[in-house]
Amino acid sequence: METISRISSMLETARELTLEAAQSAASNRSSKPDYSSRTYSVPHIKKLLDSRHEKETLDGLRRVISLMYRSEPSLDFFSAVVKNAASANLEIKKLVYIYLVHHAEAEPDLALLSINAIQKSLTDQNPHVRVMALRTMSGIRVPVISQIVSLAIKRGCGDMSPHVRKAAALAIPKCYRLDPSTLPQLTGYISTLLGDSQYFVVGPAVSAFLEVCPEEIDLVHKHYRSLVKKLVDMDEWGQLATLRLLTFYARKCFPRRTQKVKQKQADSKPFYDDEPEDQIAQAQDEVGEQEVLVVDPDLEMLFRACKVLLQNRNSAVIVSVVRCFLYLAPQEYLVSAVGPLVALLRSPQDMQLIALYNIVAVALRLPKPFTRYIAHFLIHANDPPHIWRLKLEVLTIIFPHCGKHWKSVVISELEHFSKGTDPELVRESVRAIGRCAQADTTMAGLCLRILLGQISSLDGNLVSESLTVIRHLIQQDPASHRQTVIRLVTYLGNTTNPDARASIIWLVGEFAGAEKNQNIAPDVLRILIQGFADEPEVVKQQIVLLGAKVYLHHLLQNPPEGKTEPTSSSPSQGSTSLENEIRNEWTEDRAEGDKSVDQALQVQENDQGEIEAKENGEDRITLLWRYILLLARYDTSYDLRDRARLYKALLASPSSTQLANLLLLAPKPVPHAPSPSETRKDLLIGTATLVVGSEAGYHGLRGYTNLPGWVEPGNEPDPSLRVEDVKAEEPTTLEASMTAGQKLDKALREHQATAPQRRHKGSPALGGTVGKKNLDQWLDEEEEETESGSETDSEDEADSEEETDSEEEETDSEEEEDEEETDSETEAVHKEEQKLL
Amino acid sequence: MSGEIDAVYVYDEHNAPLVEHVYRSRPPSAAAILPLYLAHATPRPSLLYLPGTTPPVTVFSIIQSNLLFLAVTEVDTEPLLVLEFLHRVVDVLEDFVGAPLLSTKIQANYDVVAQLLHEMCDAGIVCNTEPNALQEVVEVPGWMGKLLGGINVPGASTPSSNPLKQSLAASSAAQGPAIPWRRPGVRHTSNELYVDIIESLSVKMAPSGRLLSALVSGTIAFTAKISGVPDLHLSLSAPGGQQTLARKIELPVFHPCVRLARWRERPGELSFVPPDGRFILAGYEVDLLPIDPDLDQAPSHMEKLFLPAIVDIRKSLGLSGSDFEVRLTLNTNFPGQTTSSRLAASRGGSGTSTPSFLGGGGNPTGPVLEEVVVSVPISKSVRHITDMQASRGDAQFSPTTGLLEWRVPTTRDAGTIAGTATLRCTVAGYPSADEDFEDSLEDADEDANANLLQGYYEAPTSYNDPTAGTPRKVRDPSKRKKKKRSQPKSRLDLAPSCLKKQTTFQQKIPQNHFSKPHTPTPSSQNPVNTTASSQLPAFFSTSATARPTPRRTKAQINADLMPNSASVSFSVRGWLPSGIKVDSLNIDQRRSRGLGESVKPYKGVKYLCVSRRGVERRC
Repeated sequence: METISRISSMLETARELTLEAAQSAASNRSSKPDYSSRTYSVPHIKKLLDSRHEKETLDGLRRVISLMYRSEPSLDFFSAVVKNAASANLEIKKLVYIYLVHHAEAEPDLALLSINAIQKSLTDQNPHVRVMALRTMSGIRVPVISQIVSLAIKRGCGDMSPHVRKAAALAIPKCYRLDPSTLPQLTGYISTLLGDSQYFVVGPAVSAFLEVCPEEIDLVHKHYRSLVKKLVDMDEWGQLATLRLLTFYARKCFPRRTQKVKQKQADSKPFYDDEPEDQIAQAQDEVGEQEVLVVDPDLEMLFRACKVLLQNRNSAVIVSVVRCFLYLAPQEYLVSAVGPLVALLRSPQDMQLIALYNIVAVALRLPKPFTRYIAHFLIHANDPPHIWRLKLEVLTIIFPHCGKHWKSVVISELEHFSKGTDPELVRESVRAIGRCAQADTTMAGLCLRILLGQISSLDGNLVSESLTVIRHLIQQDPASHRQTVIRLVTYLGNTTNPDARASIIWLVGEFAGAEKNQNIAPDVLRILIQGFADEPEVVKQQIVLLGAKVYLHHLLQNPPEGKTEPTSSSPSQGSTSLENEIRNEWTEDRAEGDKSVDQALQVQENDQGEIEAKENGEDRITLLWRYILLLARYDTSYDLRDRARLYKALLASPSSTQLANLLLLAPKPVPHAPSPSETRKDLLIGTATLVVGSEAGYHGLRGYTNLPGWVEPGNEPDPSLRVEDVKAEEPTTLEASMTAGQKLDKALREHQATAPQRRHKGSPALGGTVGKKNLDQWLDEEEEETESGSETDSEDEADSEEETDSEEEETDSEEEEDEEETDSETEAVHKEEQKLL
Repeated sequence: MSGEIDAVYVYDEHNAPLVEHVYRSRPPSAAAILPLYLAHATPRPSLLYLPGTTPPVTVFSIIQSNLLFLAVTEVDTEPLLVLEFLHRVVDVLEDFVGAPLLSTKIQANYDVVAQLLHEMCDAGIVCNTEPNALQEVVEVPGWMGKLLGGINVPGASTPSSNPLKQSLAASSAAQGPAIPWRRPGVRHTSNELYVDIIESLSVKMAPSGRLLSALVSGTIAFTAKISGVPDLHLSLSAPGGQQTLARKIELPVFHPCVRLARWRERPGELSFVPPDGRFILAGYEVDLLPIDPDLDQAPSHMEKLFLPAIVDIRKSLGLSGSDFEVRLTLNTNFPGQTTSSRLAASRGGSGTSTPSFLGGGGNPTGPVLEEVVVSVPISKSVRHITDMQASRGDAQFSPTTGLLEWRVPTTRDAGTIAGTATLRCTVAGYPSADEDFEDSLEDADEDANANLLQGYYEAPTSYNDPTAGTPRKVRDPSKRKKKKRSQPKSRLDLAPSCLKKQTTFQQKIPQNHFSKPHTPTPSSQNPVNTTASSQLPAFFSTSATARPTPRRTKAQINADLMPNSASVSFSVRGWLPSGIKVDSLNIDQRRSRGLGESVKPYKGVKYLCVSRRGVERRC
């Protein structure tokens, strides 16, 4: 939702002018800020503070506060200000308190002097005064007063005014920070306040709970239902805290139960269930049975309350609801929350960014419902980089799930941006095209066509990026891309980017050398050798590798025993004729050169008598290979020389090509470029860690906790604990199904739960409504209880869940490795060789 | 754990710390944070993690009226919570010290700011952000002085602080407020109710002129200055009745005061007890161009869409291809503004019969199109733009922002404002461009090809990929022109027409080809042969040893400098793209309290359509 200030600025055009005027005015006198009219000398302010007239004192206090905010020394006034703590004037009190909270730490002894006056105010008739006093007292950061504060909170908890109770709730975390040893008392207060009848007391109480004792979920049980009921009425900040608490609570207290339901047709598409938990369901799906989540009625109650919140104006609440649905609820709830989540893109840009991170995280798990809102993710010309980056990602994630119309629109959009002027945007668009092609093979051809157009671009990064993507596409389906490789070769003539050239050459060696009738690799090699000396080293390495591959193919196709010369040399012969057509003198020269090289070889490699002997009858490819080796042998780069030597040794004996085959022609793993945010998939949505990502470190930002796993069936707290009115007797069936240990636990818990409940019984109306509901809920719960007792297989499922979790992680990391591998393919090939050798 | 804010810092226009309010623990000071924040390149994301400080902090930022607001937290906090809080701080400060926020105003009211920040967040937990509730506890000093002309605060809603209110407040505090968002005991001498509906339009168009998306995000702002506890009833309507309204208004969000059940029962009806003063009642969006995501064919029929301003751009014009022309089409024939309603509008405000309260500046005879600005982002490789000729208005290019802005005046004295205006510009790149951009030759060439030959929806003619067939089939029929330009050709005609275009193109710009016979363009125009040999000539001609530096023609260099999008900003008073209207605004006398029967509040409705670079044309 838009803010008032933004809307007002739209409505009032004069506003801009005022701002500009102010700006210029400010720049005129920026050297000397104009405070003189409101500041006085220190003695003067002191005099004002000591004045008997309230008006003057107030004036003095205002000046002191101004000094304080301007980060000018204001500590000198401490004693003069504190004297006024006992003033009856509310205004004076307020300012004194603000000053006290700010400075108490620096002057603990003087601050203690004011405690008495504040304590007196705690019993003031005016609830406002009591609120302020409680707030200030807990805000004074002097540890010695912790017991007094604790007592004040205790008194505040029982106050008539809800405002005071709210202040008490807010004071609890402060007291805890002051002195952690007060924890036992504080948890007692929290328990009381959680049961408060006023919704705006409960919100802060939940906040206090989350901060002081988030693990003590036993305190929550009996307030669970009232919390859910009050959720809608709370203010947005209370809702946020409560949603967080209840999401964690649900994971700890409601075991995940599923029920097998026969289904004739698996209408839920497989991509729906990317969530690890759902993979079991998916597996079942194939058999013909589907597991449907059985939702505890108490949990269902939470979901229904959450659904109402989807029309909340606060974006954080929306994301909290989405989080609750994503991690807890059956899918239909999450689907209903997708729209409101997308609607957050209407908010100001700063919030859009955060919303987009959350959208990406949700879309990775459940892309389909987002297709309805695909128009929201089209990039706007004035989107800053961090926004369009995420929009592109969303587009590529939902791309496979749209109809063909939108697919073509998305591709055209990406093409448009890949031709833009912003290098970053161009690069990301190219990557996005690659991801689209990867996700949907029917569009791969179109994507490829676009990418081919990028190869001879000006930006080196773009070219290598395009080629990387093209290579991925070819590797995924080499059979249908033979023409593409040939086409790429034509780009070799006018592409100067070394990485691009190296990449193309590698592709030629990999995919264009195998077939007999379409073998362009020897020709490419032949031509490349002419410029060998001028090539950069990466290209040289690839040329040598290409040579090795060509030679190996040659050897494989024509085993040395059976001399089938004519067929093998046909491609090169064909090219010779072609070559003659075009540049006669050139080729002649080269042929002569070759001969001389051969002679040189003869001289040098006397030891290889066997090959040498039939030198004259040797085919061109062997000669070419020799020539390459020779060229590489005298190269300045030792790395290249080493490589050449390796290949030479590998291919030394034409009869044994097995090892070489293994090394050079091994099938390469098909690369997979994951969505950039894939690494954040496991982070909890709605957190800052999700936005910061890996930069936050392995454990996320300080205070980041992921959701706990689902509690295992049988280990969950007894559902009857959530019943608000504690009943005297337990149904016998329940007790029978419990172990002795559980009974003991339960008895203990009940003891804890009942004690504070009795102390605070302030809501007869509420109790009445609950009482009506109780019977039904009781019956429901009884059923569930027996159910959970009989379900033994669900435990196994929980186990397997974990397994799939970890597996998922493994594959993730593997994918990353793959990615690296393909990025520096040459290196990887090299490594492989080393390993094998 | 969930929401903890350690400190809020405000910096003024010169990035000097203005307000420093620490809520808990000891975060790095405002002066220490700022350089780290500024170290990130603009535009800065709203969330930054600064691992270098002790302790490491997360910094959230918003910029409002040239002031920078930072919130600092040490622990993981829900980012949207913090940002919402910062926006509320801005709203509340504007409410109390006067809008727009200026550093001088804040400096003059430090005590108020201190109290507000102190109240809104208690030791890091956000607790009270309702302006009405804050007015209860925070007094604006010297209101007497203000009345006498002391401090000039345009008090939109200055609380009337008197002893009577004090006692009333005390009594309410004892029981807790009945309505958390409305302060009790409101008294106004003149009762007024204003509804402002603001819709911001965002339209994206393909180079062909076809609409890609048209979204409207609407906000209903409400100003209630009314005594007692009124219960209001606002009903909206749209052309086509209640059913269309329910369908039209998507994903609404509401102020907590709105009764959701009522809305769900009867969409378009808002029943609420308003807070005192100005607030945002609801937000919604309307998709003016709903396209089914699962559609395989381009939609055959689309809803008629009226746009007051459309921009078009033609590139690579002139002898050397260094010109481009921006064409702006303005249309003031607003739909739904029949003569009768115009008459009604001339009597008073638009919508209801009561006069519009802010419509002073405009002409009351109908919707007013204003502030028309065309913005064209210019590539960084453009040095400057020479020779800007605008048929109307004047254009400015600022190299620092890389934005060409063309303001078109819309005052009525020049007769009708509807029609077409053009702006022709000549770009100049850097003199060394010939050397610098040699590698980009192909790119530029492709660009020129792509832009002149193919729009989004034309079939690729160059590369004969076997799989390209399927998408092409889809793309062909979807090639539809904008409704204004009728496309008389049938679907079958399309492919030949493409070809024809291509040939004419080749004739027209031959220099694209003669200088570089080795480029893939010629070979790409005939299908790739299956034999390898046919590919090789192209390859041969440039031997790898001596790669000749290809010379680029001027046109190719200039093609690289051409803009690739243009957008237009405008505002229309008295018209909404969604067609939503306020049907009635009534006070439910039975449910209201403290308002005399005889009181007839003054009501005003205002509609505003804003497009901030919202109508965007790709090209």
